[in-house]
Amino acid sequence: MSAKKKTQEIGKSQKILHNVYLIEKGEKQILATKSRYGSHYGEKKFGEFREWIPSRSKLAAMLLRGYRIDIRPDWKVLYLGAASGTTVSHLADIVEKGVIYAVEYSAKPFTKLIELAEERRNIIPLLEDASKPQRYSGIVEKVDFIYQDIAQKNQVEIFLDNIRMFLKKGGEGLIMVKARSIDSTAEPPEVFEGVLKKLSRRVKVVASDTLEYHRDHIFVHVWG
Amino acid sequence: MKYRVWFGEVEDGEVRLSDDLVKSFMRVGNDVSGKELPFNVFDLGVKVFGSPERYYSELRKTAIEVARLKAEKELKREDRYAIMLLKALDEIDESINLLENKLADVREVKESEVTEEMEEEIRRMKTLRRRIEGEIEAVMEKVAPNLSSILGGVIAARLLEKVGSLQRLASLPASTIQILGAEKSLYKAMARMRKGKPAKIPKHGVIFQHPFIRTLPKNKRGKMARFMAAKLAIAARIDHFTGELNDELVLEVRRKYEELVRG
Ligand SMILES: C[S@@+](CC[C@H](N)C(=O)[O-])C[C@H]1O[C@@H](n2cnc3c(N)ncnc32)[C@H](O)[C@@H]1O
Repeated sequence: MSAKKKTQEIGKSQKILHNVYLIEKGEKQILATKSRYGSHYGEKKFGEFREWIPSRSKLAAMLLRGYRIDIRPDWKVLYLGAASGTTVSHLADIVEKGVIYAVEYSAKPFTKLIELAEERRNIIPLLEDASKPQRYSGIVEKVDFIYQDIAQKNQVEIFLDNIRMFLKKGGEGLIMVKARSIDSTAEPPEVFEGVLKKLSRRVKVVASDTLEYHRDHIFVHVWG
Repeated sequence: MKYRVWFGEVEDGEVRLSDDLVKSFMRVGNDVSGKELPFNVFDLGVKVFGSPERYYSELRKTAIEVARLKAEKELKREDRYAIMLLKALDEIDESINLLENKLADVREVKESEVTEEMEEEIRRMKTLRRRIEGEIEAVMEKVAPNLSSILGGVIAARLLEKVGSLQRLASLPASTIQILGAEKSLYKAMARMRKGKPAKIPKHGVIFQHPFIRTLPKNKRGKMARFMAAKLAIAARIDHFTGELNDELVLEVRRKYEELVRG
């Protein structure tokens, strides 16, 4: 296949955040980050873009839903529940002048995250339990943004603890909540209501909504 | 008050630089119980290392080295840890049972201070039992998130115990996983068959402890066990090779169960 053919595959693109684009591709619109790096989890590359797959990343699903958080290129980020780095890899494209402290407590997916950290310059991998933030208090600095996707029963408390210890004044938080993890028997809307109540006691809830591609999940955007 | 940071120790705003960054990085915990440190590590670090660039470059290098060391150690140990905990759980169950029986015997004859102490001991053992069980659940969720999501941590650990490791479990076909823990009845059945006698091949072993099988009418249990074992075989492989949770597996198992309950 010629190089010409390849560039023709990509249609019009629209920038929605630093290094994040919506690209027309045939009938469809795909999300992608501008990246100097290769594929990390099997996503396609189009020239300088890496496809950002919403079924694999809740942050991508949120952006495709039309909700934006203006993540700046120099932001410092604390990422809880990094797994093998699917979402982290795209976030690292965005905060290219910043840094991501990526916390994951399960060793197996973490090994792939280490590979990512070796490839990039702005990822600090931490094999730690997010429910014990004091264990990494001497490593993680004050950050602009805390992102959490850990699907745990006490994920809200864990999120709030980390906010208290590491979020700068005026910083932002984003939590992906999985209804079934918090309460496997209650109806999701009920669970979400409880979560929002708990969050608003301590932080300002800016927005929240369901996510496509991730059943019974919501995102909640907060200000610390 | 002394604080630990990854590049050394901080006391009254003074930094004592560590001569082994990997070591100091590894034991960086501060007992601050939810409160933030009275300084920003980054600000101190930049002073120590001279510039943000140097700070981050040292931090990144050290973090990656520590990450590799810790991950390697964990990968070797965690499934063993879960198995050993499970064995401890079985032991403690037996002890509790034994002591409870003895207590009942003694009590029948006479109440005394000693019977109270025995009772207290049993209560303590039960608390410990809960702790162990909780730890098994927590560890299994890390080592084998998919197996645990389908079976619950304790039954999942029981499967590991039967074969010795996650690696081994991941190499087994579904048909074997289905009857793990029922080996005795399998051997008996095979012996009978060799002698030309009628025999029943067992349909389920460890996984029979799961409510989705146990609560079904007898004639549907085999079907459920086969389905579940097929999903468990996939789960074990994902757990072994990538360790990432796939929500679909547990949903499929639940759907199958509901289908069998209804029809
Ligand atoms: C849904 S996955 C995250 C996927 C990832 N955010 C992405 O989009 O690429 C949840 C991860 O959180 C991790 N996790 C759960 N509880 C945790 C805890 N207390 N501390 C650290 N990681 C945790 C799990 O091991 C799992 O890898």
